[in-house]
Amino acid sequence: MNAWLVAAAGMSLSLIPCAVVCLRGGPVARLVGLEMTSVCNSLVLLLLAEGFQRTLFYDVALSLALLSFGGGLVFARFLERWL
Amino acid sequence: MIARIAIDVLLGIAVVVTVLSAVGVAVMRDPYQKLHYIAPPASLGVVCVVAALFIGEAQKLAVGKAVLIALLLFFMNAVITHATARAHYVREKGVWPPKEEFEVVDK
Repeated sequence: MNAWLVAAAGMSLSLIPCAVVCLRGGPVARLVGLEMTSVCNSLVLLLLAEGFQRTLFYDVALSLALLSFGGGLVFARFLERWL
Repeated sequence: MIARIAIDVLLGIAVVVTVLSAVGVAVMRDPYQKLHYIAPPASLGVVCVVAALFIGEAQKLAVGKAVLIALLLFFMNAVITHATARAHYVREKGVWPPKEEFEVVDK
């Protein structure tokens, strides 16, 4: 287990408070928790890609960063207009 | 040896910043306050990870992709934070842009 995987495991701990935020609070607070989760997940995937020495895994982190941006904007607009 | 220490320190900083920011998101009550805590992992955390990659990774393609991810997280975080704050404001006040006119008072 190299330093990258240890860092990925440590950074995965940040998902617990994000899950708490997503399970409690109002709709906007839950959206904030989701956005925080996507940032943390992108970093974890980045670390895992380096830890496992698979260049292909960087594309997963890149895809998540891109799609979470679009998803977050759609959620925000949805909360703003209809919910 | 120095490179390995530098990588460990950078990764440690990134992990600490990310975990503390996640705790901050959970502890703060107002969504406006919670939104502030997304910025540190999206700026400082990702910069530390990319710097560690730059030191430790030999393949430049991987570093290039990591830099692209860092730029995406850095710039898109600002946009999505503004969109979320605006959504919360509209849900609270029901109108955008704000109607109140703020005056700057010189003393």
